[in-house]
Amino acid sequence: MSTRLNPSTRPEVIQSLIDGVDRYNPDNVSILEEHLAAQCTNREVDTMANLAILKLYQFNTHLTNDQVVNNILVKALTTLPEPDFNLCLYMLNEQMVSEEPVTRLLALQDLLEQCKYSEFWDTYERDDIYKELTAEVLGFEDAIRANIAGAVAMTFQAIEVPRLEKYLSLKGQALVDFVKAQGWTEANGMVTIPVNKDNEAKTTVLTENIRFEQLTKIIGHSNE
Amino acid sequence: MSSYQEFEDENVASEVDLVVSAYPVQDDGLDEELLSADQTSQQYQEVQIPEVVKNFILFFHRNILENNVYELHSIYEHTFNKLTEKFYAKESWPEPEAISPLVNDDQVFLTLYRELYYRHIYSRLQPTIEHRFHSYENYCDLFNYILNSDGPVALELPNQWLWDIIDEFIYQFQSFCNFRNRIKNKSEEELALLRDNPQIWSCYSVLNVLYSLIQKSRITEQLLVSKNGGDLLEAAGEYGSRPLYKMLGYFSIVGLLRVHCLLGDFTLALKMMDNIELNKKQALFARVTACHVTTYYYVGFAYMMMRRYADAIKAFSHILVFINRTKQYHTRSYQHDQINKKGDQMYALLAMCVTLCPTRLDENIHSQLREKYAEQSNKMARPDEALAVFEDLFMFACPKFISPNGPNLDDPNVLSTTPFEPVQRYSKIFMNDVQHSLLLPTLRSYLKLYSTMGVDKLASFLEIDSEQLRQLLMVAKTRSRQVKWVQGTLLEGEMTATSDLDFCLKGEMIHISESKVGRRYGDWFLRNISKFQDILAGLELTVKA
Repeated sequence: MSTRLNPSTRPEVIQSLIDGVDRYNPDNVSILEEHLAAQCTNREVDTMANLAILKLYQFNTHLTNDQVVNNILVKALTTLPEPDFNLCLYMLNEQMVSEEPVTRLLALQDLLEQCKYSEFWDTYERDDIYKELTAEVLGFEDAIRANIAGAVAMTFQAIEVPRLEKYLSLKGQALVDFVKAQGWTEANGMVTIPVNKDNEAKTTVLTENIRFEQLTKIIGHSNE
Repeated sequence: MSSYQEFEDENVASEVDLVVSAYPVQDDGLDEELLSADQTSQQYQEVQIPEVVKNFILFFHRNILENNVYELHSIYEHTFNKLTEKFYAKESWPEPEAISPLVNDDQVFLTLYRELYYRHIYSRLQPTIEHRFHSYENYCDLFNYILNSDGPVALELPNQWLWDIIDEFIYQFQSFCNFRNRIKNKSEEELALLRDNPQIWSCYSVLNVLYSLIQKSRITEQLLVSKNGGDLLEAAGEYGSRPLYKMLGYFSIVGLLRVHCLLGDFTLALKMMDNIELNKKQALFARVTACHVTTYYYVGFAYMMMRRYADAIKAFSHILVFINRTKQYHTRSYQHDQINKKGDQMYALLAMCVTLCPTRLDENIHSQLREKYAEQSNKMARPDEALAVFEDLFMFACPKFISPNGPNLDDPNVLSTTPFEPVQRYSKIFMNDVQHSLLLPTLRSYLKLYSTMGVDKLASFLEIDSEQLRQLLMVAKTRSRQVKWVQGTLLEGEMTATSDLDFCLKGEMIHISESKVGRRYGDWFLRNISKFQDILAGLELTVKA
């Protein structure tokens, strides 16, 4: 299963909680909130467990902790282009979705979903509010960069350095280091990305697979 | 609302009755004005139970007592509906209290009867808030009897009815949530009733019923044994080995799939299905067509909302093929209309999914889709018209979402505001997502024509700048990679390329590739090999002769 829905680092206690009816017990919200706090410091994502928090808030509105909701959404931003952010939005009530800080995060989501990466960084860096909103999620910027790098590596085999600078909001040595860490190479103002299964764009012909079961009758015949 | 009081009122009204009973009962052209103007006459009819109906109730009761599932099946599916058409097309069935003397005040029978009585009101008439409350209480009585009697109850009911019980229970829950949400035009009395009874039709009470049925029936354990092997009887236990419990437990799993979809929790919805193998032939859900269709509708819908379009398309196609094939078997009765409506909704969802994730469909399904939604499909491919069509189709085909908590009735401001319809909220989030993909069909149509192409050239075709095109290409690329089910539970899957069209960017140049389906030889050779073997065998025979 994809790691965001079923991370290998999920503690046993959380696992049994979200697997059973205990997930509906409002008394357990603090256990799940602590698990979220751990994700924030350990740079991990457990969307399934975080959705369980939102479910408890959905049923017991008085429990809602705005900071927790904020952190869940920020965490979900770090999983784009996975759909987690929307999956969280579906669980919030109309009022929350139309008010700050959620609207702020929606603006960030909008830019990331459209792969408007340089605009994303412009917006993010222009106003301190965004750094405040994402402060508790350690490594937020790195996680966003990693996902952008992922989208770039799927689409490009070669990309101009200035363009990559803008997409990643990295300059000079920081960019050089990042490129190196990805296993990409830079030469003559172009960054080359090794061919992978997503960026190779190779014309393929799908040939049929003949299953053994299809042949059983013939093989049976030849033995007669 | 005490029915005994109404009993007494009947006698007073007996004079008017003669006039009413002069009407031919089946006539659809009844003078509606006269009928509705005369409330008392209706009450009269409730007590004046036609002889046929009386006999039916007696027969029905006897078969419940004898657990005659075969006979009950026909009573439930045919006779009840026939009598409804004949006598109760526009009014409710006789009050349960009115038939009580006929069945020796058998409480279990009366609970079952009430289930039908209220369901009939919901489907044919306008339920009042009292109906809603009483029907809830009746479901509580029914489930209490089933779950909390000393030991398993001896009752046996047809699968179709068991499914309908769970289905209707959730339908009434959903209907109540939407009723509660629309506080405008509610009388003071209704508001007071809502305020004083927050536990009625609450999310927790509904989930509690469904989970209790799952636990009591040990259906999870049973499904695990049938998947991994083991002693089924031991896994099922005292309750779960009885069909009534087993089927109610199983249907409750599908019920939870639905409830969680209605609440917007799509991952949890699919998680409910962890132990049900969709691809298995002769799965239990297939025993009741309505359950089969419901299962695939909600599974497909949840996948769609999780942006797993390939899986959604597979789910919708599968069940639509099934509906097409079995069309002639379910042309009768109320189910037919419902299945057809769900089918139409799924074609609409399929049209959306195929736009968002171009896929080759089963030929039959494809032609049906063209027949029903050709115009919409064409419009969804055009950026300027797409959004409106997507929204229309979504509103038509989505489940009736609910808001789990009604408006805060203690807040005086709430009463004067128009509450937000949950479905609009879901539609807004979904449309926001779709909006990012509107240009993709146009992009695709250009990419199909070239094998290499300059960024600037394509950008000018699309009338956007080259940076916007790069962004669009990245969107197209990331959207064409989806988690797709391979094996295991419904939530599992592997990242898969879902498009037959692929491309990459090398600086200013776009390289495009298309994967093609090669000719299929296997079948041809297989057929000819066996033909050849036949000829050979024939020759050998003539030689020997």
